[in-house]
Amino acid sequence: MTGPLTTEPRRVDLEAVLRELPGSPEPTTQPGALGRRLELAQLKRAAQLLGASRGARLADMFVLPSAPAEAGGDGGLTLHLVFGLDQDRRYLLLQAPLSGRSYAAISEVAPACFVEECEIFELWGIKPTGGHPLNRVLLAPGADSAPPLRSGSPGAPRSRRGVPTEVRAPHVVRGEAFEFPVGPVRGVGQESLYMGLVTTGEEVLDAYLAWFHKHRGIEHQVVGMDPEMALFRVERCEGPGAVGNGLAFARAVESASGIVVPAGAERTRLVALELERLYNHAAAMAALCQSTGLGVGQAQVEIILENFLRLNAAVFGHRYLFGVVAVGGVRRGCDGATLSEGLSALCASVRQIGSALLGTNSFVDRLEAAGVVDAEAAARLGLVGPVARGSGADLDVRRDHPWSAGDSHSGLEVATAVNGDVLSRLQVMLQEVDESERLIHRWVQSGELIDVADALPTPAGPAPERGERRGLGWCESVRGGALSWVQLDHDGKVAGARLRPASVRNWRAFDDALRSRNVFTDVAIIEASFWLTVAGFAR
Amino acid sequence: MALWFWRGVRRGIVTTRYPARADGSAATLPTPPAFDASQLTPELVQQMIDICPSRALELAEGQLVLDLGRCTACQRCLEVAGPAGHPSQQFELAAHDLGQLRLCFPLEGPK
Repeated sequence: MTGPLTTEPRRVDLEAVLRELPGSPEPTTQPGALGRRLELAQLKRAAQLLGASRGARLADMFVLPSAPAEAGGDGGLTLHLVFGLDQDRRYLLLQAPLSGRSYAAISEVAPACFVEECEIFELWGIKPTGGHPLNRVLLAPGADSAPPLRSGSPGAPRSRRGVPTEVRAPHVVRGEAFEFPVGPVRGVGQESLYMGLVTTGEEVLDAYLAWFHKHRGIEHQVVGMDPEMALFRVERCEGPGAVGNGLAFARAVESASGIVVPAGAERTRLVALELERLYNHAAAMAALCQSTGLGVGQAQVEIILENFLRLNAAVFGHRYLFGVVAVGGVRRGCDGATLSEGLSALCASVRQIGSALLGTNSFVDRLEAAGVVDAEAAARLGLVGPVARGSGADLDVRRDHPWSAGDSHSGLEVATAVNGDVLSRLQVMLQEVDESERLIHRWVQSGELIDVADALPTPAGPAPERGERRGLGWCESVRGGALSWVQLDHDGKVAGARLRPASVRNWRAFDDALRSRNVFTDVAIIEASFWLTVAGFAR
Repeated sequence: MALWFWRGVRRGIVTTRYPARADGSAATLPTPPAFDASQLTPELVQQMIDICPSRALELAEGQLVLDLGRCTACQRCLEVAGPAGHPSQQFELAAHDLGQLRLCFPLEGPK
């Protein structure tokens, strides 16, 4: 993916930067989050200061209507920047009202937000000035004459008609090279994704990715819905990340509404989140075996995967854990006895097969030095989850951004590896299996989980106030930190939503990983190790 | 690679004819609803239609119509149905015609 490649070295203390930030503090009652309102002209300077500091990581950038949707109203748009202040255990939300159809390109000083700048242009028709040509993210080639995807949304009656051709990054394949098309329908049961692999025969020199086949506009669909009904859609924006994305969204709504989730319900949904992590890691291992041609290994890991899915069904009533998370708690209790009984054996099987895989030279040879993402690239692109941790980033939202007292991850050992290759990512996943098992056993033994036979507890909290309310939610999903931002209108309906699954952040490093001296047959291996979803990106 | 050969042989068969035997895990999975027509009233049916996120329920010609092609077995309708509904425990939903997936329940509840 084309994008700016330079950034200043991180050297300034965060406290000094926070004191120097332009704008005024935005009052917020949300623990773990800071708000700041700026003028649009100040936003780039603020991003530059934070980008140059230690401990600030760009987590998201998006545009939403400034005011709740009113019939026939147009309250303007606001540009949001979210930074994770990991050592400070807080998120910082910068908000600047948009006054026109452009803004100073933030990606020039914070390269991690280049994909979001492309996305904002396609969704809202608002373009960064002085920036680089934009990549296609959600729109198909040739769609430039159409109105923006959200032209019907409040505050966005803009059009991209007459977009000059230089807006788009050139798609150029020259000389001896040619573009080898893979997808969007691919041989294995994967999602729709077009990969244009540029090559002279064997080595991948460049790659063009197109996710637009899968775009469903879920953020737009949920506007006007009751939060509980919106959660149903949010869970389905990325099937193998239903708990993580659903939990981030539910927490955002709870934060906006002042709802306090009972400790037992909070722990119960964390159990579901760790079960989701376990089955996804098993699925990634199976995909790695498949992509390296290790058929027996694939079959054996898939048996473990199937048993994880059956355990999910036995414990929570759904193989993919849909419908567990609710706004204010959980929709279903958990069968702790069945969980304790089945979990240890399955995790032992994962360890056994992991040890066998790491002892197989022909397997390890395919993984070593394949799809390298170095630590500098991981920081520059704002990567999260096992992909970032495999590149040495000591980053985990469970430890760095605890949600509440019930979010008990004390003693969590964050797994990291340093080489940034496929093997490092597999090693991180295997270590995370141990941590997830340990956490689940601890929570079950605490006796605080909501049992399947118990009545579901009622969430506490102040009576929801009438008026506009906003909240940020987060959690460490399978693929890394997932974020969600919700605006509720006077009736408690969703007036605006931003869903930021971890896949959104990590896809931007995939083509970099492909270009790191890999051949065609490495592509499937690298894809398995990233274990991302197109659905999570093109939500 | 001998390790993997022996692992494969030791594990044995990984595929079976379908269905080799009844799947015990089916009892723990969410299934589409089934309704007791004698308990269905227009008010109750409207509540269930309003709560269905995938619009699988509708009122047509005085009957509750459940479209199994749309139902995701989220069971939200059963939360308001009370004794009028229960999980169908039915998984074998393959059909040649979409019409076969539309189940009709007359409203025969107390007036």
